[in-house]
Amino acid sequence: MLPTLCRYGSTMICRLAITCLILLTAHTALSGEDAEHWAFQPVDNPPLPEVNNKAWIKTPIDFFILARLEKAGLQPAPPAANGDLQRRLHDDLIGLLPGPNDEFVSPETTIHKLMATPQYGERWARHWLDVVRYADSNGLDENAAYANAWRYRDYVVQSFNSDKPYDQFLIEQIAGDLLTATDDAQKHANLIATGFLSLGPKVLAEPDKTKMEMDIIDEQIDTLGRALLGITLGCARCHDHKFDPVPTDDYYALAGIFKSTTTMDSLKTIAKWHENSLATPEENKLKEDHDALISSQQKTIAAFIKKANEQLLVQQKLKQVPPNPEEKYSKAAKDELAGLRETLERLEADIPVLPFAMGVVDGEVTDLPIFVRGNYAIPGALQQRHFPRALTTGEIQPIGNDTSGRLELARWIASKENPLTARVLVNRVWRWHFGRGLVATTDNFGKLGAEPTHPELLNWLTSWFIDNSWSVKKLNGLILNSATYQMSSQPSPAAIERDPNNQLLSHAPLRRIEAEPLRDSLLQISNLLDPKRGGYVWTFPNFELVFNHTSEDTTTYASNRRSIYLPVIRNHVYNLFELFDFPDPSTVTGHRNSSTIAPQGLFLMNSPFVLRTTEALATRLLNEEPVDSVQRMERLYALVYQRTPSGQESKNGLAFVDRFSEVRNGKDGDNDSSAAWQALCQVLVSSNEFLYLR
Amino acid sequence: MISRRDILRKTALGFGSIALTSMLEEQVLADKPLEPKIPHFVPRAKRVIFLFMKGGPSQVDTFEYKPRLQRDDGKELPFAKPKVTFAPTGHLLASPWKFTQHGQCGHYVSQLFPQVAKHVDDICFLHGLYGTNPAHGGASLKLHTGADNFVRPSMGAWISYGLGTENANLPAFVTICPTLAHGGVTNWGGAFLPADYAGTPISNASVPAKNARMHHITNPQWTLAEQRLQLDFLKQLNRDRVGNVANSDLESRIHSFELAFRMQTSMPEIQEIGDESKTTHKLYGLDNPVTENFGRQCLLARRFCERGVRFVQVTHSDGKVQWDQHGDLRHGHAEKASEVDQPIAGLLEDLKIRGLLNDTLVVWSGEFGRTPTVQGSDNDGRDHNPWGFTMWLAGGGVKGGTSHGATDEYGFYARQGKVHIHDFHATLLYLLGIDHKQLTYRHAGRDFRLTDVFGNVVHDIVS
Repeated sequence: MLPTLCRYGSTMICRLAITCLILLTAHTALSGEDAEHWAFQPVDNPPLPEVNNKAWIKTPIDFFILARLEKAGLQPAPPAANGDLQRRLHDDLIGLLPGPNDEFVSPETTIHKLMATPQYGERWARHWLDVVRYADSNGLDENAAYANAWRYRDYVVQSFNSDKPYDQFLIEQIAGDLLTATDDAQKHANLIATGFLSLGPKVLAEPDKTKMEMDIIDEQIDTLGRALLGITLGCARCHDHKFDPVPTDDYYALAGIFKSTTTMDSLKTIAKWHENSLATPEENKLKEDHDALISSQQKTIAAFIKKANEQLLVQQKLKQVPPNPEEKYSKAAKDELAGLRETLERLEADIPVLPFAMGVVDGEVTDLPIFVRGNYAIPGALQQRHFPRALTTGEIQPIGNDTSGRLELARWIASKENPLTARVLVNRVWRWHFGRGLVATTDNFGKLGAEPTHPELLNWLTSWFIDNSWSVKKLNGLILNSATYQMSSQPSPAAIERDPNNQLLSHAPLRRIEAEPLRDSLLQISNLLDPKRGGYVWTFPNFELVFNHTSEDTTTYASNRRSIYLPVIRNHVYNLFELFDFPDPSTVTGHRNSSTIAPQGLFLMNSPFVLRTTEALATRLLNEEPVDSVQRMERLYALVYQRTPSGQESKNGLAFVDRFSEVRNGKDGDNDSSAAWQALCQVLVSSNEFLYLR
Repeated sequence: MISRRDILRKTALGFGSIALTSMLEEQVLADKPLEPKIPHFVPRAKRVIFLFMKGGPSQVDTFEYKPRLQRDDGKELPFAKPKVTFAPTGHLLASPWKFTQHGQCGHYVSQLFPQVAKHVDDICFLHGLYGTNPAHGGASLKLHTGADNFVRPSMGAWISYGLGTENANLPAFVTICPTLAHGGVTNWGGAFLPADYAGTPISNASVPAKNARMHHITNPQWTLAEQRLQLDFLKQLNRDRVGNVANSDLESRIHSFELAFRMQTSMPEIQEIGDESKTTHKLYGLDNPVTENFGRQCLLARRFCERGVRFVQVTHSDGKVQWDQHGDLRHGHAEKASEVDQPIAGLLEDLKIRGLLNDTLVVWSGEFGRTPTVQGSDNDGRDHNPWGFTMWLAGGGVKGGTSHGATDEYGFYARQGKVHIHDFHATLLYLLGIDHKQLTYRHAGRDFRLTDVFGNVVHDIVS
């Protein structure tokens, strides 16, 4: 038979479970090498290291960075220019450009101000959506619409804006349905949060229904592992994990928790996922009343027809009702019937749509056996539900039979004793600010992942984060206020020589802006950005295929709202996103790539979006006061680069406008040519100064 | 100072190529990701044209003759059907088409492919192909990426990564009118591989080949002369502003615009087929409305290959159900075959005339085959069959006029010379000079490969 696929793709020969060494003996915690792996150690609070240049220090982070630099004989880069720093902070915190009139008082004020804006949540939610493989369609085999996924997206935006403690944020996403809520709003938010477990891609046409169910559970476990714990739990589905201490029995103990959870309502092709109702009792009542009205109207019509037919028999002395009897009704009867039907149609067109959210609830509580080599046809010993024991200190407590165990799991993950959860998040946040994590493999803290470049700093930050009530805003503030973050991106010759990859952080990284800030900034400077928050842009009937074998994708991206509100269609992601390294929305992504490919150039040169926004930008320039072309150039530089052009730059720009209109219109000296100004705008937004954060 | 790249350029290789064994040197990759690379061993083929028949053409109605099936029409299959199937099927259904022998090898081909039949002496039939997934999405993903429920790089992306492109003005991997259904972009995507290696789509299946274009390849507003002005000014801005920052990212950005500018000429030029002779147009069936669409795709494939593109996929797909005849087999398969027969034969002949068939590998396959057992109320349909089906290869390094493997006497299960999708991938890479076990990419702490932990090269078919 064909060996069951090891979908986790290690090229080390993946022998079958039978030949696997059991990495752990039952009911003991870690042993040997596993016990020493850094990521499984309890979080401690290391002392701040000694440094010479104390004057450089702004936050405790700087001690750790500077100590390493001094040891390597390197100097930290000088502070970034105010303009560069301001641009960087805006990109980091809200994903938009500073306005031309935004004053830069101090980094502290800017940081504080930006984190208080609602745009902060729109920027930071997107990071989290990368991690939880958010999408508005299923992708994979049958691309069914997740028309209610946006509620989860809005929940994430709100959670970041309200700075919900990260531990609570996680508990809601894993087990929100099992939490007690004080009011409807909270109850609904908790239900919506569990969308986390349901948003994954599913093989909805899988003919083998048991396999489908186990695949969905596997996707949940795998996502949970990578996204929250930074470990690849999924490997243990078929064999004991080759590298990390996750034996197969731990996997099935965990799988039992999700088997006891209802994610799907129907497995029949095309399978349907479960959605929780968010309707208030009033809304439910309204719907019931409306349904009753429809039903009563239908009865009225049926009764009317019955009576009219009987009359027809009597009047026309017929033995039986003729075909199409209505044609023989009197005019008055016809009119009355048409009126009744019209009312019914109106009622049917006006059925109140009840709000639903993708998510889970507890199902029938059950334990699973080990499936040998991942094959459910070969069940092994039954596994009482419990948590991975490699990550658990003390006795393993099996979960009782009155609950799936999801809430217990959530609390175990979100506990400060769990060595991975807070570490993984702190490292993610660091990655989102610096373009590289202290652990480069943000989603893999296992033995095959990268070692931390600054292990003490990671420990210290983790412990600080837990002590500061798991507040992401506070963590952001701590990082952004550091001298480390605020360095210039210009490396010293010594740094280029001795630390070419900038592992030690002797200077700030040079980073290309991401897809969303690119799009949103272009809309912003061209005055087209629609600031509306929340809700959905895209209305596709829930559960229906967004496109099928016709390959006709009707999704549009014409909206001028922020990128986070555009639909994410798996298997056919919006072209702008795809070109600029938006992650594959089917997989957990803590680290986006930053590619430089020719199709990005084609996009900036030729795409309708760039032409549309640069045209609007040129129009804005030409319509706005002042009208003098030098001042206009200054205005353009202020909008795009947030700085004043030098005399030479201004001259060069105007020379380009001249030359361009000459080539285009065959005459020179036309400084008002909107085409030429648009061409100039397009060059500016294609330049490295716009595309990169210095 | 001599950089590592300089050394690589100057040692033994001489052609500006990079040895595949040092590919994982990130700096080299980041610098020139699509630089041609020296394979692990002597390649039999330099490029691939993959003719993808979406929907699943039936092996027992096309290229694998089953006399027992013809004889036992209407009888029950004398052995068990798979436990899990896409949909139930009934008794055996003989092929409505006659099979006759062709070429010197005498291979049987049905009436559906009279033109392709003339080329059997160049074709190597794999009759023992099998996969695992009986649904379109899973099977298609498996065939294209080797994985059916995880997002993995497609075979074209792996090949671009492994070999680079021979033409610096073109992408390494082009897919013409691909379907968005059943995996969509994933079927030509690069997943975790750097973006350079993903397939470049020329529109999608909803667009007639005549109108199919690469995204943003032309500008509706500026002339090339105007864009030249823009790019020159852009270069000046970039130089002035960040001239002293030594960063390869910024340098590559400048180059990427220049490449984009050149592609604006090189890509449409390929699609301008006016310079092809009348004979060529006819050869690909461009003179016939039935074959025009697929014929144009095949001709474009040849033109891309000629210019150095490494992997070209041509998808036979339109707004309908393609080869997926659960019913209406007689009409559906006849119609589909009539659309592709002449173009495919024309492609093979044209490649041969131009001397390209020696080092171009042509692959023909659906995501699966179809059952010999019947489906549908009119006894005129067949279900999906991933358990045994036919794929064929021609050109670049395979033994023409041969067949390898077979299904059982009725055409249900692969029985002899079984070739799993993973084995096909291993063999494909082998023909291109790549050891499938060594072509790895490190992602999230692990070394991944196209064949995962599987794959055996089918040496028997290599010439």
